[in-house]
Amino acid sequence: MGVTQSLAVETRGLTKRYSTGVLAVVDLNLQVRTGEVYGFLGPNGAGKTTTLRMLSGLLRPTSGTATVAGGIPGSPGSLARMGAMVETPAFYPYLSGRDNLRVVARYAGVPTSRIEPVLRQVDMTDRAHHKFRTYSTGMKQRLGVAAALLKEPELLILDEPTSGLDPQGTVEMRELIKELRHGGRTVLLSSHLLNEVELTCDRVGVIAKGKLVAEGTVDELRARSGGSALLVRATPLDQAQRLLESLLKPGQVQVRDGIFSLTVDPTQAAAINRRLVADGVDVSELRISEQSLEDVFLQLTEQAPTLPSPAGGGGE
Amino acid sequence: MIASLRAESLKTRKRWANWILFGILLLTLILLGYVLTYVLLSNPPRNFESRVPAQILKREVFPENLIPNVLQFSSTIGAAIMIILGGLSTASEYGWLTIQMILIQKPSRAAVLLGKLAMLAIITLLITAATLAATALTSYLLVTIDGTSSSWPSATLLLKGFGALWLEFAVWTAFGMFLGIAFRSTAAAIGGGLTYLFVGESLIAQLLRNTEGVKEVLRFLPGVSAAGVNASFGLTFRNLNATTQLVDATRGTITLLAYLVVFTVLGLLIFVRRDVGGS
Repeated sequence: MGVTQSLAVETRGLTKRYSTGVLAVVDLNLQVRTGEVYGFLGPNGAGKTTTLRMLSGLLRPTSGTATVAGGIPGSPGSLARMGAMVETPAFYPYLSGRDNLRVVARYAGVPTSRIEPVLRQVDMTDRAHHKFRTYSTGMKQRLGVAAALLKEPELLILDEPTSGLDPQGTVEMRELIKELRHGGRTVLLSSHLLNEVELTCDRVGVIAKGKLVAEGTVDELRARSGGSALLVRATPLDQAQRLLESLLKPGQVQVRDGIFSLTVDPTQAAAINRRLVADGVDVSELRISEQSLEDVFLQLTEQAPTLPSPAGGGGE
Repeated sequence: MIASLRAESLKTRKRWANWILFGILLLTLILLGYVLTYVLLSNPPRNFESRVPAQILKREVFPENLIPNVLQFSSTIGAAIMIILGGLSTASEYGWLTIQMILIQKPSRAAVLLGKLAMLAIITLLITAATLAATALTSYLLVTIDGTSSSWPSATLLLKGFGALWLEFAVWTAFGMFLGIAFRSTAAAIGGGLTYLFVGESLIAQLLRNTEGVKEVLRFLPGVSAAGVNASFGLTFRNLNATTQLVDATRGTITLLAYLVVFTVLGLLIFVRRDVGGS
């Protein structure tokens, strides 16, 4: 049974206003392609978890529509083809990890023979007989992923999967996510950690204040936000600044901490270097600086308009 | 619903709190309702005053009075335990956030809750059977120790008593279950349920039972209705119907059945329609 649509997730005008009046998500149009790892990026409180809850059928949208794994969110048809870990991994504290998976398997109607393979997949076999309440954050996260994998879902939704993990656990989780995409599985991953998204995702959607402010590959987002810059360290500073401002257009030259940041085509680097040296300026450093995803993220999220909302504190 | 029922059976079986509640119910019934009553009435204190002699009163714990004695104790201790059981079954899911995990599996919300309700119905049935069996055994042991004779209730009476006990347990469990869904908090569900039982039903209803106007309202309460049903199973030496009950057994049964339906339907409606998570 395959998801025949080329889109694993599609939302149109998805909006959620809580009963408290908080507008958490506004007119969200999201498209996650089948087989890709899609990063849903946004600062805390941006509306990521609210969106994922709507896609999982836990919350009803105030307006708008969504199609998830070929069905309406929360419908048995959609749920049968998706696995999810929304917010924190939630299990019964008095049951062992293995028994918790047995409970999930019974709800999901999958054979219990699936339990051992998913435990192995998340490297939890040795601790599976211990009570869930004794687990560390990392083990809870891994059990959450194991539960999401029980149904062998075509779409996997993971909400902040590395949240609370130590560096080693974070690296292991990233590796696991990379493995999960094999076999044409779609992964929708929410995070506020930029390098996580940069390292694992094919495409990224940036959400800020409930609105999708950008969508594309990491490179596309960088390009949209100004691309690269040429960094020059030269002395004497005054002389170098006068020369560079005479060579380039206003606004292309910026100085920060004694380093010039030139918004020019990087291919001009050699010519600029020659002019500076010819005029007696010492150039001690000249390099191309790719704009980091962090710069892009900050730029996009700071530009997002504030939502009309009576009170702060979203559902996320 | 079957998938949900299977999951519920595993969760219920492995949850120690359920076994502890069951143990408390049986121990309290046997110790307070039988052993202590028998010991006290066999050796009554000098200042013991009663219109009925202690030697007759102690027959309350013998097999002939099995049904009325069990019902009498179950209407307070049993009701409290069942409210806690029902409250724990739903409110814990919100407290642990496992409700989110359950609802993103395959079954619909209605199927999830119906599975839980079916499991609660089975549990209350088993508790009813175990309660009657344990108290019957205790009663048999006490009458043997006493060296007197006693007859067992007829099969019809046993069956009717079983039905009444199951219905009362089911209503209080459904009440706890409903409160758990409505409040989404274990403390609020159990606290609210027990406060209603002990303050609303046991205290206020008793104080105002003879106040005109209020009496009509009291006739609709589940505890008052249960008392009406229980009174129809009179002790052999004392006709409980003589102590004025506000409702008769038929009206009491109908009211209890109505409460069972109302708590179930309201719980289902809230469970199916309400958002899970978020503010």
